[in-house]
This record gives sequence, structure tokens and C-alpha cells, in this order.
Amino acid sequence: MGEERTIDGRGLMPPEPMELTLTALDTLPDGEELLLLLYVEPHPLYAILRQNGYTHRSQTRPDGTVEIYIKKN
Amino acid sequence: MQPGLSFEQAPPISVPFRFFLTAPLFGMAAGLLLLWQGPAALASRWTSVALALTHLLAVGFMLQAMCGAMLQMLPVAAGANIWQPRRVTHLTHAGLTIGTLLLLAGFLAEQALFFRIAVPFMTVSLGAFALIVLVALFRTPAQGPTIIALRIAVFSLIVTISLGATLATSFGWQLALPLTEITHIHAAWGLGGWSLLLVAGVAYLVVPMFQLTPPYPAWLTRSFSVTLFFLLSAWSVTWLPLQRPDGLQVALACAAALLAVVFAVVTLRLQGQRRRKVIEPTLLFWRLAMACLVVAAFAVILQQLNPGAEDYAGVPFLLGVLLMVGVFMPVISGMLYKIMPFLNWLHLQRIGKPGLVVPNMRQMIPEPRMMMQFRLHLAALLLLLGAVPLPFLVYPGGLALIASCIWLEWNLIVAARNFARFSRELEERLALEQAPSTLPRPEGGAD
Repeated sequence: MGEERTIDGRGLMPPEPMELTLTALDTLPDGEELLLLLYVEPHPLYAILRQNGYTHRSQTRPDGTVEIYIKKN
Repeated sequence: MQPGLSFEQAPPISVPFRFFLTAPLFGMAAGLLLLWQGPAALASRWTSVALALTHLLAVGFMLQAMCGAMLQMLPVAAGANIWQPRRVTHLTHAGLTIGTLLLLAGFLAEQALFFRIAVPFMTVSLGAFALIVLVALFRTPAQGPTIIALRIAVFSLIVTISLGATLATSFGWQLALPLTEITHIHAAWGLGGWSLLLVAGVAYLVVPMFQLTPPYPAWLTRSFSVTLFFLLSAWSVTWLPLQRPDGLQVALACAAALLAVVFAVVTLRLQGQRRRKVIEPTLLFWRLAMACLVVAAFAVILQQLNPGAEDYAGVPFLLGVLLMVGVFMPVISGMLYKIMPFLNWLHLQRIGKPGLVVPNMRQMIPEPRMMMQFRLHLAALLLLLGAVPLPFLVYPGGLALIASCIWLEWNLIVAARNFARFSRELEERLALEQAPSTLPRPEGGAD
């Protein structure tokens, strides 16, 4: 497919963004990246990702939005 | 097949819950003390009753809930791990609970013995907590304004504990120390350093997250905690010389108060810009707290600019009520109503597995109950503020404070009971789902 999968969690009440992310990871094909947009660094999610064989990298946009790219190892 | 996602980093749910369930009990005790002492509680900030009241709220309620939240927040919000979380929890909880009782007994009975026990006991337990948390905050790879604010907050807590221990030592062993000066600095670091910076550090994260506001502006988050720290430090130093630089001291105190106003106004404006215009209890508690912070800061400025104001005993009572009952108790209540349901949800996720729906956060504490506590707390605040000109209002004020704390305690118990109920239900459903998978499939022949 190649298209980028994006979850915009900025307008959502926690823990909705985490629920959506975990659900999306269930069906994320190997090699594809999931992009999560938030206003914070989601440390509980990072811990879950690390323990379950996902890598993530993040960068912050000037408006404070944190882009989190998640991929299966 | 997706493996079950694990949530091992979160500490056991009993870690923060024991702090949260203890804190309102001391709030009730403060209300009872107000009822028992009546208008005498307003006489001066230096009476043993006023000191007992202050510590019931500041240590018994505020510090108790704040330490519990800190132990929970570090792994969740900062990715920082605490050394020996279980032992640190036991030690800190005992230090806070028994420590508050020792201080209460020391002040009310005016017995040196209680302070002699409290000094080593509280210094070791709370000092260990602060040092362990500070190390965790310096070792975390996480960065950003929240981490910086939390580091300075915990450092301020260490200053507060050291000065508190010095004061208690002088009560316990009758040492001649400049008690008035040390008390001023102790209170400023406890309320302005530790408590306010903790609230700010947490606010940078949770106000945008839970109230769906834009993020805090970078100019504020970059400068607030560091500037407040320098103002507090410089102000504290002005107490040292015998010839006090009065003008400089007043200027520094007013600058710190104005800085608090900036933080409160920015927070109120952000909340005004939230994307979902829903009124919910946590938002109301935060808005009440920020409004009280503005009023308290201007009261500090007025007091600083009118040196005679100290002589009027109502001023310290007014400031104490505004800051503790008006600012910090509401923020804590509002946050507990987010933290407890979130922890319930996080720990229920741990029991479940992908595909098994976990009850949502809103099912943990019914919203009308939280609203009711907000109203009771608001009544307590207004009545206690009214007690400054009309001292008899201290009685209904004390009653309302007890009612608010009972309501808070009950709401938190409801959350804890719901966690137990939901986890039992999840485990039963999980067992039901797993049971058939060990049997041959229907098309395999067996019934």
C-alpha cells in the first residue's frame, strides 16, 4: 500500500490516542510506519513499544506537536 | 499474531492509591480542628493551633497526595524509574502519615518529645524520598520544561524539609534560632518552590492533554521555573544580613508573586481556548485554583507594600486559606479525578489482551459525584475566606471542609472498588474466552 498511516491524537481525550495506536499496531504490516501526532511525549506508550519489539522516533514541530513514528523491528 | 502488549513499567496500583486514600483523612482532621478551636484558629499564624492546621493541610493532605502522584508520574510522564519503588513507597507513606501525626501532637500538646521523634523520622523518610526522586529525574533520558520544573520542585522540597527539620530541632531541644526568618523561608520554599513548581510542571503536560487546550507558550515554560527559583533564592538570601535590605526584599517577593500571576493567567487563557467546550469537574477545580492563585498573589503584593499588614492576624489566615484550600487542594482533587481513573484503565489494560474491551475512564468515578465535591469545596473556601471579617463563619467553613474531604475520600474509594470489580470481570471474561480454545474446534468433530 505504501500510504502513511496517521493517528492525530491532538484533539482526543486520553487514553483514546493510546487505544487507537494499540489497535492500529495490531494490523500494521511489517515495514510500514505509523505516525502519531500528540502534544506530549507518550512515555507509557514508549515503554509498551520497547517491550513489544517496536521502534519509535519522535520530533517536535514548532507549534509543539510531537510527531511519533512507530515501526515493527 | 500480535503478542499481548505488556505494561510492566507501571508500578503496582497500590503504590499511589495508598497516598491518595490517606490524604483526605488529614483534610477532615483539619476541618475538625477548626470546629474544635473556632475563631481562636484565626488569632495568629504563630499559635500552636495555626501551625497544626497548616501542617495538617500542607503535609497531611498536600504533600501526601503530591508524593503519591510523583511516584506514579515519574515512570508514566517522564519515563524515569524509581529505585526500589516498593520500599520507597512504604517509607515515604509512613514518613508522611506518622510524621503528620507527630507534628500535630507536637504542636497541640507543645511537647518537645514529639519533635525529637519527628526530626530524625521525617528527615530520613522524606529526605530519602526527595533524593531518590531527584536522582531519577536526573537519570531519565526525557527532557523538556516539565522535567526541569520537577527537578527544581524536588530541590525546593529538600530545602523545605531541611528548614522544617531545623525548626523542629529548635522546638525539640530548645535551641535559640531566628525562628521567624526560618519560618518565612520554609513556607516560601514549600508553597512557592515545591508546590507551585510541581503544579506548573504537571500543568505543562496535563492541561493540554486532558483539557484539550493548545500547548503552553514556549516563552513561559522555558523561563517560569528557573526565574521563580532565582527569585526565591535571592529573596531567601535577603533574610541573612542583620541590616535587611527591605526594599530589595519587597521587590523580589512582588516579582515572584507577579510571576505566579502570569502562570495563572496563561493557564486560564489556554483553558478558555480549549477545543471541546465541555465543563467537567477537573476543569472547574483547575480554574478555581488559578483564580485563587491570582488573588493570593495580589494579596501577597498588597501585604508586601503595606508593612503594617502583618499585624492584622486575618492576613496570614486569608493567605493560608487562599493558597492551601483555594489553590493546591482543588488542583490536587481535580488531578486525582484524572489520575485514579487513568491508572485504573492502564492497569486493566495489563490484565486484558488485545481485542478485549476494557471499561473506559469515565466509568471509574461518576461525574455528578465529583461535581458535588467541587460544590462542597467551593463552599468551604468561601466560608473560610468569609471567616476573616466574620469569625463565626469558621464553624460552617470547617464543616464544609470536612464534608468536601469525606466526599473526595468516598469518590476515591469508589474508584478503587471499581478497579477491583472491573479487574475481576475482565479475568472472568478472559478465562471464558480461553477455555474453549483448549478444546477441539467444533468442526473437528467433538461437541
